[in-house]
Amino acid sequence: MFIGWATPSAATRRGVLFGGIAAALGAAGIAGTLAATQGPPGDGAWDQSAVRDWDGLLVRAPYPMLRTRALGEGVRTAFLGGSGKLSVAGRLPAGLDGPVTVRASLIARGDHAMLAAVDDDAWIRPAAAQGDDLAFPAPVDLGEAALQGEILDAKCWFGAMRPGYGKTHKACAALCARGRLPLAFCQTGACITGGEAPLFLDADGAPHTRAILPLVADPVLARGRLVQVGDVLQFRVAPDAIVRL
Amino acid sequence: MAAGYRIVTWTPYKALYDGALALGCTAFVGAFIGVALATTPEGQRLSEVQLLIRASGACAFALLTLILAIGPLARLSPRFLPLLYNRRHLGVTCFLIASVHGGLTLLWYHGFSDLNPLISLLVSNPRYGSIQGFPFESLGLAAWFVLFAMAATSHDFWNAVLGPAVWKALHMAVYVAYALIVGHVMLGAVQGEKGLVYSLAVGAGAAALAALHIFAGGREARRDADAATPDAGWLRVGPGADIPDACARIVTPPQGEKIAVFRDGDAIFAVSNVCRHQGGPLGEGRLVDGCVTCPWHGFQYRPQDGRAPAPYTEKIATYRTRVEDGIVFVHETPMAPGAETPPSTLARPA
Repeated sequence: MFIGWATPSAATRRGVLFGGIAAALGAAGIAGTLAATQGPPGDGAWDQSAVRDWDGLLVRAPYPMLRTRALGEGVRTAFLGGSGKLSVAGRLPAGLDGPVTVRASLIARGDHAMLAAVDDDAWIRPAAAQGDDLAFPAPVDLGEAALQGEILDAKCWFGAMRPGYGKTHKACAALCARGRLPLAFCQTGACITGGEAPLFLDADGAPHTRAILPLVADPVLARGRLVQVGDVLQFRVAPDAIVRL
Repeated sequence: MAAGYRIVTWTPYKALYDGALALGCTAFVGAFIGVALATTPEGQRLSEVQLLIRASGACAFALLTLILAIGPLARLSPRFLPLLYNRRHLGVTCFLIASVHGGLTLLWYHGFSDLNPLISLLVSNPRYGSIQGFPFESLGLAAWFVLFAMAATSHDFWNAVLGPAVWKALHMAVYVAYALIVGHVMLGAVQGEKGLVYSLAVGAGAAALAALHIFAGGREARRDADAATPDAGWLRVGPGADIPDACARIVTPPQGEKIAVFRDGDAIFAVSNVCRHQGGPLGEGRLVDGCVTCPWHGFQYRPQDGRAPAPYTEKIATYRTRVEDGIVFVHETPMAPGAETPPSTLARPA
């Protein structure tokens, strides 16, 4: 019989030694299997160390955005985000408008981009005029749409978090929405693989209120209108037109 | 043999035990991270923090499953007793790994905002009325508190302060923690995975654990059923010759603690089966140096009066025994703890 305080027999010591090695191998096997069968988190990317200046045109609504040529392929739109789960809306200097230079790192997934502004006060400053073509063109109404999918926070889904969708990310997405970061909508299936994720706004083209928070990251059916504004596709949906599935 | 508690001393066996534990945990976390990095193309990988969150969560769940399996395994075969000794090391390690998982989750998913992370943990997902959408984080938090309470009271100091019965009851809450964690994983990580591996792994672990407990409990129940006799108060133990020398047979009376009936040569003694240290099963131990010795931590009692040898002061109840035609019987009514109770004697073959 084994007695804890007594000197264990050689057989017991051997048993614990070889049992421990076998258990470690078994643990490694189980862990490896679990790791190898995880679902893909998506291909968003964010190199926080790659901070640089970005020139463009500041747009304040519905969310702070920068219209810029610095992303390549002509004029494109990058949302502006702050550090952590907070928007830069509260940090925008009063009266600043038009051409600006933003100090930030790039979060990108496919054609989607967000600039994560540095924390110091000098994150944005006026810049020289950069041409009239940076302004948003007139919106084009693409008609009604009923889409199944998930309401996301754009920052995480673009690459700040991997994965940036699903139930395990719900709390984080709700905090980002609470922090007034832009919301996006991914259709079922595309949340993992990527693709088009229109900006998610209310029926008037304004950001949703906090009443949307319980629905974030849940599978929903949303009925509204698709509106193209330059390179930004908007999905405008009234709160009462969102049904949890 | 527990007049007080002392600083735990390290022995080569404990070092070996803890070394095996550290090796197993390191292998698990290392393999998880290594395989995840090796099998996922650059640009598709989880961040380092999220890898650690998943690896530590999976490791804590696997370790807790193992911890709960040790008890029934040791009842089924004494070969598993070396795992039982120092099981609390496994428990504290499980708590620490779960704390890494919880701490990183709190930081990563609930930090960096204008809301207190602890408040966020409980309110960010408000769907408490839904099964599918239930905020699994709250289950994990509740389980963490249970594991914390157990780890914090794992030292013998708390066993002495709370008393064995309360201490044992508190530590049985590990089953509550396990149920909470199964719910936490099934309503969280498993819902996020499209494949079946995660749900099968959790389900198989929990099912195997339940089956092990049912099997070990069923075996004891069958043994207990054989003890009933028409003789009021007397329980049939079985042929005395079938009790291995210096070992015991355990019987369950209709009421009260189980009884361990020991054979020491021709002498038959009966004592309570419950060790005063941590409620260990004395009947699964043996006589060492003439004393009943608990298999869990080696606490000792004299079989004739249930007293721990001097200078220790613990006492357990003794029971009357009798032998008829080689069959041993024990009376279900305990004598006062520490009361001298003469042994009955097996007749020697002519």
